[in-house]
Amino acid sequence: MKKLVLASLLLALSSSVTFADTIKVGVVGPFSGPAALQGKNFQAGINAWLAVNGNTIGDDTIEIVYRDLPAPDPAQSAALTQELIVSEGVQYLAGYYYTPDAMAAAPILEEGNVPMVVFNAATSAIVNASPYVVRTSFTTWQTSTPMAAVARQRGIDKVITVVSDYGPGVDSEAAFVAGFTGAGGEIVESVRMPMNTNDFSPMMQRIKDSGAEAVFAFLPAGPATLGFVQAYVENGLKDAGVTLLAPGDLTQEPDLAALGDNALGLLTTFHYAVSHDSPENSAFVEAASKAIGSASELSFPAVGAYDGMYVISKMIEATGGNQDAAAAVEAVKGLSWVSPRGPVSINPENRHLTQNIYLREVALEDGQYINKEIQTFENQGDPGWKAP
Amino acid sequence: MSDISLTSTKPVWQRTAMRDLIAVLILAAVAALGYLLFPSNLALLTRIIAVMLLVLSLDLVTGYSGVATLGHATVFGAGAYAAGIFAAKFGVTDPLLMLAIGALAGAIAGALSSLIILRGHGLSQLVLSIAVVSLAHEAANKLSAWTGGSDGLSGIAPAPLLGLFRFDLFGRTAFIMAVVLLIAVFVVLRIIVRSPFGMLCRGIKQDPIRVRAMGAPVYFTLVKMYAIAGAVAGLGGALSAIATKVVGLDSLSFTMSAEALVMLVLGGTGKLYGAMIGTLVFVWFEDRVSAINPFHWLTIVGVLLVIVVLFAPKGLTGAAETLWTRLRRQS
Amino acid sequence: MQTILSIAADALAYGMVLFIISIGLSVTMGLMKVVNLAHGAFAMIGGYIASYATQQMGLPFGVAILAAVLGTMLIAVPLERFLYRRIYGAPELTQVLMTIGITFAIIGIANFVMGPTLKTIALPAQLQGPVDLGFRTIAAHKLFAVAVGIIVAGALWFIIERTPFGVRLRASVDDAAMAGALGVKTKIVYAVSFALAVGLAALGGVVGAQLLPIEPYYALHYMVTFLVVVSVGGAGSIAGALVAALLLGAVQTTGRYLMPEYGEFFFYLAVIAIVCVFPNGLMGRSK
Repeated sequence: MKKLVLASLLLALSSSVTFADTIKVGVVGPFSGPAALQGKNFQAGINAWLAVNGNTIGDDTIEIVYRDLPAPDPAQSAALTQELIVSEGVQYLAGYYYTPDAMAAAPILEEGNVPMVVFNAATSAIVNASPYVVRTSFTTWQTSTPMAAVARQRGIDKVITVVSDYGPGVDSEAAFVAGFTGAGGEIVESVRMPMNTNDFSPMMQRIKDSGAEAVFAFLPAGPATLGFVQAYVENGLKDAGVTLLAPGDLTQEPDLAALGDNALGLLTTFHYAVSHDSPENSAFVEAASKAIGSASELSFPAVGAYDGMYVISKMIEATGGNQDAAAAVEAVKGLSWVSPRGPVSINPENRHLTQNIYLREVALEDGQYINKEIQTFENQGDPGWKAP
Repeated sequence: MSDISLTSTKPVWQRTAMRDLIAVLILAAVAALGYLLFPSNLALLTRIIAVMLLVLSLDLVTGYSGVATLGHATVFGAGAYAAGIFAAKFGVTDPLLMLAIGALAGAIAGALSSLIILRGHGLSQLVLSIAVVSLAHEAANKLSAWTGGSDGLSGIAPAPLLGLFRFDLFGRTAFIMAVVLLIAVFVVLRIIVRSPFGMLCRGIKQDPIRVRAMGAPVYFTLVKMYAIAGAVAGLGGALSAIATKVVGLDSLSFTMSAEALVMLVLGGTGKLYGAMIGTLVFVWFEDRVSAINPFHWLTIVGVLLVIVVLFAPKGLTGAAETLWTRLRRQS
Repeated sequence: MQTILSIAADALAYGMVLFIISIGLSVTMGLMKVVNLAHGAFAMIGGYIASYATQQMGLPFGVAILAAVLGTMLIAVPLERFLYRRIYGAPELTQVLMTIGITFAIIGIANFVMGPTLKTIALPAQLQGPVDLGFRTIAAHKLFAVAVGIIVAGALWFIIERTPFGVRLRASVDDAAMAGALGVKTKIVYAVSFALAVGLAALGGVVGAQLLPIEPYYALHYMVTFLVVVSVGGAGSIAGALVAALLLGAVQTTGRYLMPEYGEFFFYLAVIAIVCVFPNGLMGRSK
């Protein structure tokens, strides 16, 4: 009798496995730590996508497995990634907020037969680390380059660049300098600030002394942006007419309320604004706000995750739920769709998104500070990518 | 009491050799158990061993020699970056050679940084060590042409171990290499801490003035110990570089130094197995808790640390020893 | 000349903020011999309370400061009674472990209760906007920070040197057993000093929030900076902490202006140089 029960139980178990597969997606991101907000946005983007599209693709059910990586830590990233592949049996890897973490995960993709969809990490070279890397975010080169054109269009001849002294800051500086000098502008000075700078007054004094008409700045989204923008206003640079130009990391939406009136009128270039006006974005913002709990916490990593889920769903469709990383990646090369951020496509050459970059101005609408899109640079590739 | 008088009839070296053998067997057994029970978490286990080497190294300077430091990641990072740079930029991809380079770089970094850190005592020593690790971190960030800066040093492709065993997805090769390395280091350290040199270090910890009065060179002895500790941590760094294939700035950070100190105090200072148990418990706990609830694990880890201080102020091994002696006295 | 004055003004303001937060730590470390790594966490709690009071409850700035200081003390009193009292006189490493644990827990709770985003404190109109100094303009809240710093230094000096409580405190520090024998209730003296230190941390958190913005990882980000100031100044010395804060503020500000690329190198090299020459801090007592 006992044996019979056991046998039928086993049968029931095995039959359920054959009829509908569960496809696991491993997501590595900063769910705690200083960048916990960005991890929360990964989760919001994923949940929004699941809420809108359901968690089944054909016969297969998607299951998300989260792993926390609070700070850049390649050793831990490699350990988590390996554990996700080997022990959780994930068919897809996704997330990765910081570049070194993505770099550490890339070498094991081929052997694990797993594609990786990067939701954020923004260094151009990541896609070269493995042929199984696809990226649905942006690169710092991509978002910084159009700002050079903006500056020239506005008749600015002399610019000082001020960037945080680390990888993305250096990328941003290089992108702007290349674009701006290429268009006939002059860089009067390039300053790199230590990462943990908290008093920006001396920097502002230096900007003043340089005689530049505008300052191009890069700071990572988060606490430091507050002090920077405040110092810019308090030291009279805004009143003196020194334009502040920056990639959108400086004015990510959750920080805007804290920046307040000081940020009004700031010009930034970026791939996504929460206020983007399109039916796709309205649907996304509604679902993602519900997922994250408070609309004011919504930021750009959510859209990277949302589009990443779309790409993964297409990969699952193409492979019929079978684990075949090469076929999955091949299937999404050249894929194009309308994302909440606008029309996008995956460049088959480097598996990175070609997308619109928008010039935005911080504005106050209905009591909310927003990044208002005022100009579009269509179909921008990644100018920072070099074929390996 | 009775068994002590029994064993003490044997020569001292025999007794200690016997204990060493038992310790090595226990270590090997635990490693084998880890391999069998968690075959899919070998990367985590390898990482734990790399950190263990760092904490063992910290124990040498803090637990055995009384130097307070919150900057010990300096020597770990030196080993990791040296091994990584030689592999990525100069094509030195033999894993054993990379380990040797890491140990050498760690020893040099240890000796150099000790020249600064040993100038202070207590609080000022802590601050000097923080300054040293911060300088090293800044320097690695600045020299991004060599270190990859904040993007991390990638492109490390270790050759098969002994030309035979590839570093595979499951991390078996890396794990076995790590275990052998750990056991070898453990045996060597057991010998060192029992040697007259090791005893001298303990003496310095207890009373540096008296040791100086005896005519022993305090400063030079500590520099030497620092170099040995640096080599151990450097091995850990190189191991991490080989297993991960990427070296990040975190390996040279204040955070890593502080965590190492937390692990050491958690396990119990001044005992080699205390350092290893502290690391195992802390990293394992952190990994499990953050997997179960990635959103609130920091609070739980914090509360755990407070509980340890309140109820096991000598660390986990200290508490276990107290319990053990109490039980024995009762029986 | 104008540049030098300008740097000096920034350095003074920044140094004063460092001083206000660090002086509380100097009290706990110098007088009570506790390496309190959770000090920054108390400053952060003060900042959060002030932010909540001004933004959510619409209270005036002055009331918010008071609420922050008292509220943080209220939170700290049970911590002192049940946790810190257990580590007075314990080895430094044990203190480090305990206070790091407290810091982790406070960060986790802050993240949960207040959310991961930046919080700001609404300033009154008088403290917003620039003030003209003749050679340049400077933010009014920075001048406020300088004023608060001077008042704090003066008041502390008065309390410790001129009041009966100060006498008891100094006696307890010099020889707790002897002071106890002479009728000083050392436990109460310690509890009051701890509350005082925490209150100063909270005050610093609020006054310095414009430079060191309030977010959950505040407690870890600036821990090292505060520790460095106390150590360079000499634990337990008011004048030492003031000189150290101003000196390090000047080094950092000048470095940031002249060679921002190597700003941090200057800072830490200066720390190493000072500590090597004065192992007990600029004005610390030798042990």
